Amino acid sequence: MNVSELTLLVLRFGFLLLLWMFIFGIVYALRSDLFGQRVRKLKTDATPAPAFSLSAVPAAVPAAAAAFTAPVARASPATDSDLATAHNTTRLIITSGPKAGTEFPLGTDTITIGRSSDSSLVIRDDYTSTHHARLMLWNDEWMLQDLDSTNGTFLAGSRVTVPTKIPLNATVKIGATSFELRR
Amino acid sequence: MSKASALSAQPATGPVRRLHLPQKLRNLELFLVLIACFINASAVVLVQLGALGELDPTLMLLGAGLSVLVISLHVVLRFVARDADPFILPIATVLNGIGIAMIYRIDIANKQGGWESAAVRQTVWSALAIFSAIVVLLVIRNHRVLFRYTYIAGLVGVLLLFLPLIPGLGQEISGARVWIHFGSFATFQPGEIAKIALAVFFAGYLVRNRDSLSMVGKKIFGARFPRFRDLGPILVVWALSMSVIIFQRDLGTALLYFGLFLVMLYLATGRLSWVILGLGLFLGGAVIASQTLNYVNGRFTNWLDALNPDVYNAKGGSFQLVQGLFGLAKGGLLGTGWGQGRPEITPVPQSDYIIASLGEELGLAGLFAILALYLLFVARGFRIGFAGQDDFGKLLAVGLAFVVALQCFIVIGGVTRVIPLTGLTTPFLAAGGSSLVANWIIAALLLRLSDTVRNQPRLVV
Repeated sequence: MNVSELTLLVLRFGFLLLLWMFIFGIVYALRSDLFGQRVRKLKTDATPAPAFSLSAVPAAVPAAAAAFTAPVARASPATDSDLATAHNTTRLIITSGPKAGTEFPLGTDTITIGRSSDSSLVIRDDYTSTHHARLMLWNDEWMLQDLDSTNGTFLAGSRVTVPTKIPLNATVKIGATSFELRR
Repeated sequence: MSKASALSAQPATGPVRRLHLPQKLRNLELFLVLIACFINASAVVLVQLGALGELDPTLMLLGAGLSVLVISLHVVLRFVARDADPFILPIATVLNGIGIAMIYRIDIANKQGGWESAAVRQTVWSALAIFSAIVVLLVIRNHRVLFRYTYIAGLVGVLLLFLPLIPGLGQEISGARVWIHFGSFATFQPGEIAKIALAVFFAGYLVRNRDSLSMVGKKIFGARFPRFRDLGPILVVWALSMSVIIFQRDLGTALLYFGLFLVMLYLATGRLSWVILGLGLFLGGAVIASQTLNYVNGRFTNWLDALNPDVYNAKGGSFQLVQGLFGLAKGGLLGTGWGQGRPEITPVPQSDYIIASLGEELGLAGLFAILALYLLFVARGFRIGFAGQDDFGKLLAVGLAFVVALQCFIVIGGVTRVIPLTGLTTPFLAAGGSSLVANWIIAALLLRLSDTVRNQPRLVV
């Protein structure tokens, strides 16, 4: 079989093209890494306007979830001053936002929060950064660290700037979602 | 904690949705792996068309063998690491396949054929390497197991590093004493495996001890420098790499280990002062070595004065380096095409100089594609480290990815005359079994780490 110069030339360019298409295929599949996760539009009925106010207190909990969280919320004032530690905290409860009422078990691992799909707590709304904040254990105490997020992380109404200890049952607010650490 | 009960859900709000898309990730991987196999097969076909002018079906089996192995690794991943990163395997496959095609092309130029040729050996080593990757994935079900063996890994790393110095076992090839040989047929470079063991050791050691390395120290010019007594670890690693330079006469390996330690130290402590200190130590050592050790001095002369006819013609001079540059220049922007250049004129075109050979036949466009593949591989490793939830996993992932990046920089920088040339293998590409095994194990560890990272309990709001 004799191969003409032209065939070889075409095949040569074809190979380079194929190689680059493979690379751009991978980059295309990775686009969420480069440009961040797609934002999911919030349903207006699920998050009423009060949820956006910065002084988020249990009063802002949507009505749908209030029925469930009410008993827990009533019991909370007694233990307000206690800090959340690895020993007295077992779960994280979402108190407002689209998934109000859901709970998330806490182990000893760091909990990362953000829009990126490798976060432990993925919050996909317009107000959350790709890597927004994290909860971690320092000397057995749960700390909240803001990862330089655009819209900030709020602990009991005030913005978190340095890693801060979290009191039990205190509201942590990220975007339109707030949660508490509970026993 | 079983997967199903990892998240308890309130009946009022319905079950918690886990962000768990195993099939999606693995199907994407399968798609990319099939393209990768097609690229590899077309590379072999183009080599045959270009160099032989005809198709030789017997050696097509080379490409097919690699494809079967990679797909079996993919199947293993479907069972034991369903959430692993889908890009690492295809990238490694393409790099390995392009390497085999180029080695095969040089075999043709050197009139080597049959089952003794370098390309067949490389394929057999690839098989062994992918098999070891499968074993790693099956044995290590959670990377935190490695944390328990921190100090054993360190000991193994140092032993492997100095194994070639044992008389009778070690073998000296072109000046460097970094090989060991079993009988006359198989040689092995234990330093390649040592880099994995040392990465595990550095990660485990730094996670345990970083507080004392990062918290205290005096502030000089705005950077906090460590206390004198905390300099122990960095001095030990420095002494280790200097002894590699002196006794094994291998600059590249020394730079690789020291660079790895420095980067992991920086990651663990977040202190720039360690990098300044380490670079100072290494540059000081390198300058002293270049003044006192003949071979280091020669490397520097070849680098700085490569195109001088005296240096070019001298024994052990810059002949090889300059031939490589000529080859790259001949390749130009788009290359001569597979099988149509003359990469065999450069000494060792299939191992140290495979980048120059590929640059000649695929041109700048092809070389940049290969560099882009390395970039993506390393970026995935960093990304896995970034997303990791435990510090050991973070450090290990970044360390393993960085060791690949640094090795590429040292060898490609050497060939393109950015830094003095040192003998290291180009990861996945170059002929050499130990390097292949080591790099496929690195790929397997990154796959395992990425699976663990994605397998955390997770809640999507």
